[in-house]
Amino acid sequence: MAKVVPRPELDAWQRLYIGEIFKGLLTTLSHAARSLSDPAHFPTLQYPEQRPDIPRDYRARHRLMKRADGSPRCVACYMCSTACPARCIHIVAEESPDKHIEKRPARFEIDLLLCVFCGYCVEACPCDAIRMDTKQAVIVGDSRASFVLTKEQLLDWDPKDYPPDDVQSQKAPGGLLHEQALQELRSGTGH
Amino acid sequence: MAELITITVDDRPVHVPPRIPLIEALRHWAKVETPAFCYHPDLSVAGNCRICLVEVIGPRGAAFGIACHMQTAPGLAVRTQVSSERVRWARRGVMEALLVNHPLDCPICDKAGECTLQEHYMTQGRHESRLPDAAGKQYKGGPDHRFVDTKGQERGGKRIDLGPTIVLDQERCIVCTRCVRFMDEVAKDSQLAIAGRGDHAYITTFPGQPLDHPYDLCTTDICPVGALTGKHFRFQQRVWNLQRVESIDPSDALGANLYIEYTPERVWRLMPRRNPEVNKSWISNRTRLLYRELAINRLTAARLQGRDAPLAEGLAAARAALAAAARVALVASGHCTLEDNAALLALAERLGAKASVFSGSWLPLGRPDGIALSGDPVANRAGLRLLGLADNLDELVRRADEFDAVVILHHDLWAADPAKAARLARIPQRIVLAPWLESSVRQATIALGIRAWAEVRGTMVNCQQRIQVLQACPVLPDPELEPAWRVLAELGGLSWTSELEAFRFAAQRAPVLAGLSYRSIGPYGRLLPQPAAAGVA
Repeated sequence: MAKVVPRPELDAWQRLYIGEIFKGLLTTLSHAARSLSDPAHFPTLQYPEQRPDIPRDYRARHRLMKRADGSPRCVACYMCSTACPARCIHIVAEESPDKHIEKRPARFEIDLLLCVFCGYCVEACPCDAIRMDTKQAVIVGDSRASFVLTKEQLLDWDPKDYPPDDVQSQKAPGGLLHEQALQELRSGTGH
Repeated sequence: MAELITITVDDRPVHVPPRIPLIEALRHWAKVETPAFCYHPDLSVAGNCRICLVEVIGPRGAAFGIACHMQTAPGLAVRTQVSSERVRWARRGVMEALLVNHPLDCPICDKAGECTLQEHYMTQGRHESRLPDAAGKQYKGGPDHRFVDTKGQERGGKRIDLGPTIVLDQERCIVCTRCVRFMDEVAKDSQLAIAGRGDHAYITTFPGQPLDHPYDLCTTDICPVGALTGKHFRFQQRVWNLQRVESIDPSDALGANLYIEYTPERVWRLMPRRNPEVNKSWISNRTRLLYRELAINRLTAARLQGRDAPLAEGLAAARAALAAAARVALVASGHCTLEDNAALLALAERLGAKASVFSGSWLPLGRPDGIALSGDPVANRAGLRLLGLADNLDELVRRADEFDAVVILHHDLWAADPAKAARLARIPQRIVLAPWLESSVRQATIALGIRAWAEVRGTMVNCQQRIQVLQACPVLPDPELEPAWRVLAELGGLSWTSELEAFRFAAQRAPVLAGLSYRSIGPYGRLLPQPAAAGVA
C-alpha cells in the first residue's frame, strides 16, 4: 500500500525562498570550514587516487577457495548456481583425478554483469569454496565477455592479501583434516 | 476388476481390490503416502528395508507389519503414520539405521533431488545425529576408493566401475536389492548379487564379470539412492534443474513410455515413464541414449542440390518442383507421427490424380525381448496401417520410372537397402524431409529440415494398437525448424496452424480416431480396436 507523505506547511518567509537558499549555503559553508580546519576527517575522498577502505565482509567480487595443493575446493555441487537468483553461475562438472575427491568443476564461470552480489552463493556453498571477500567493488571491463570470470580468474588470488585464517583453505577434505580424522578414529579417541 | 473389499486404515473404511500389496492400497486407494526403498511395483517383494511398516490390528493387539509384503484381505485393519505415533517412532528408527553408514554427500550425489532416501529423510528422519562426530563419513581414497564405515572398518569402494554403463558407490548403497531383483526377474540375467552378511553386505558383480546388459541402466532408475549411476549422466546436470515432457520411444513399435528431461539449453536424458500396459518401468539402454542424437548431425536448413539454403528457399523450390511434376510419388514414414503422415495424405489429396502414396520400410524386423522393445524399428507402423497405407515400398521401386518427383518423409532408405534405393535415383526430383543428415538427404535434390521426434507434438500407434501421445520438448537445434506436418501442409497450400488439424484430418481417414483428443488419449495411451484382418506385429 502506498504511504502518503504529508508535505510540510510553509510559512510566508519560507515561501519567499531567498532566506532558505542562504540557509542551505550556510550548511555547505559550515562543512567546508570544518573540513579545512580538520583535514584528517575530510568527508569526501580524492577518488581514484584515494580509495575507500572496504570492510572484509563487504560483498565484493567472488573468489574460489583452494585446497592445500592449489586445486579448487569446489566440488561442483551446483548449490551456488541453484541458489543464485540471477542465474549467473555456470558450472560444468567432471570426475576428479584425485582419489580423495569425487567431483570437481571443469568450468566455473560467474557472469558479473548478471550478478546482483546478493551473497547467496556464499551462503549456499556446503564446503566454503566461494567467498566474496576480495574487496574488489569496482569491476572494469571492455566487453561483455570480459565480465565473465573463469575458474582460473576466480582462483587467481594471493594468500598474502587475506588475513591468516585456520579454516582458510588447507583443511578441506582430501587435505590434512581427513588424515587427522582417520587417525583419531583408529586410535579410538573418536569412538 | 475384481470386486472391492473393505479394509480399515486409520479407523476409516477404505475400499480396495483384494490381494494387492497393502502398500499399493495405502498409496493409491487410501491416499496415504507410504515410504519404500526396496518395494517396487514391477519387481517381486523383498521386504528388507522395513520403512513401509504399519501397525496391524489383530487379535493380539497392534503389531508392526510391513505394508509391501502384506496383502489386502477383508477385515484388515491398519494404522499408519497418520494416526499412530508408534509407527512414526519406528520409522524414525528404521531411517536412523539405514543412515548409519550412508555418507553425507548429497551435494555431489547425482541422485540428490530424486533420491527416495533423501525424500523420506526429510519427512521422517531423525534430524540430529546420535553418532560421535568423528565416526564414519570418512572417505579413504586410494586406488580402490575405499571408505571407512561407522564402526571404523575400511571397506567397499566409492567408484567401482561395474561395466560399460554403470558406476557403483558401495557406501551410498542401502542394500535394498532392487537392482539384483531387476537383473534376476526382468533382465533374466543374474549379473548382480549380494556378497557378505550383516553390515558387511554389499552389491557386486561376479568376480571378473562386468555388469553389461541392454537394460542395465534401468538399475540406476530403480536405485533408491545414488549407489548406481549411469556413466552417460554422471556429473552432467543436477536433476532439479531439469524440466520434463512426456513422450514415447520413437525407435521401436512398442513405443516405450518415457520422459524427455531437458533444460532450455539441451536435452540431458530420457527416463522411463511407468506404464503398466506397455513397458512397465523399463526402457532399453538404446532408447535411453537416443537423446544424444538430438543435438548432432541435424539438418537445420534446406539443401538444394547439395548446397545449403534457407528453409523458405527450399520450400519454394519444392513447391515449384511439385507443380512441375506430372506424376508424384509420396512416401509416408513410420518414423513420423500420425499427424505428419496425415499431412502427407492431405498433400496427396491436393495434388489430386497425379499423386500416389507409398509407405513401408526396409529395416529388418527383430524379435521382441519381452521387456520394452518389440523388435520392430518402425514405431508408427500400426498408425500407417490405420491410415489405410499398405507396405508397398517395393512397388515404388518397380514403378520408379513412372514418376517425375518423389517426396520422402524421414526415411533412411539408402542406408536400409542401398540396392533398392538406388533405383529411386531415377526419379529426377527427390524431395526429402528429414530431421537428420541421413542417407536420403545426401541423395536428395531438395532436402528440407524438420523437427525430430522429441520436438513435435503428435501421436503414434504402437504394436498393441495403443495410440500414444508425444509431447514437444521446446529445445530445438534451430528455432526456424518446423514439424513435418507443417512443412507438408505448406507444400500443399494448406493453412494448418496446429497439429490438431492434422489429427482431425487423420481421423477422417481412420474413423477409429474420431472423437479422440490428446487429452482423452491421456498419458498412458488408449487402446484402439484391433483391426480385423491385420496380424499383430
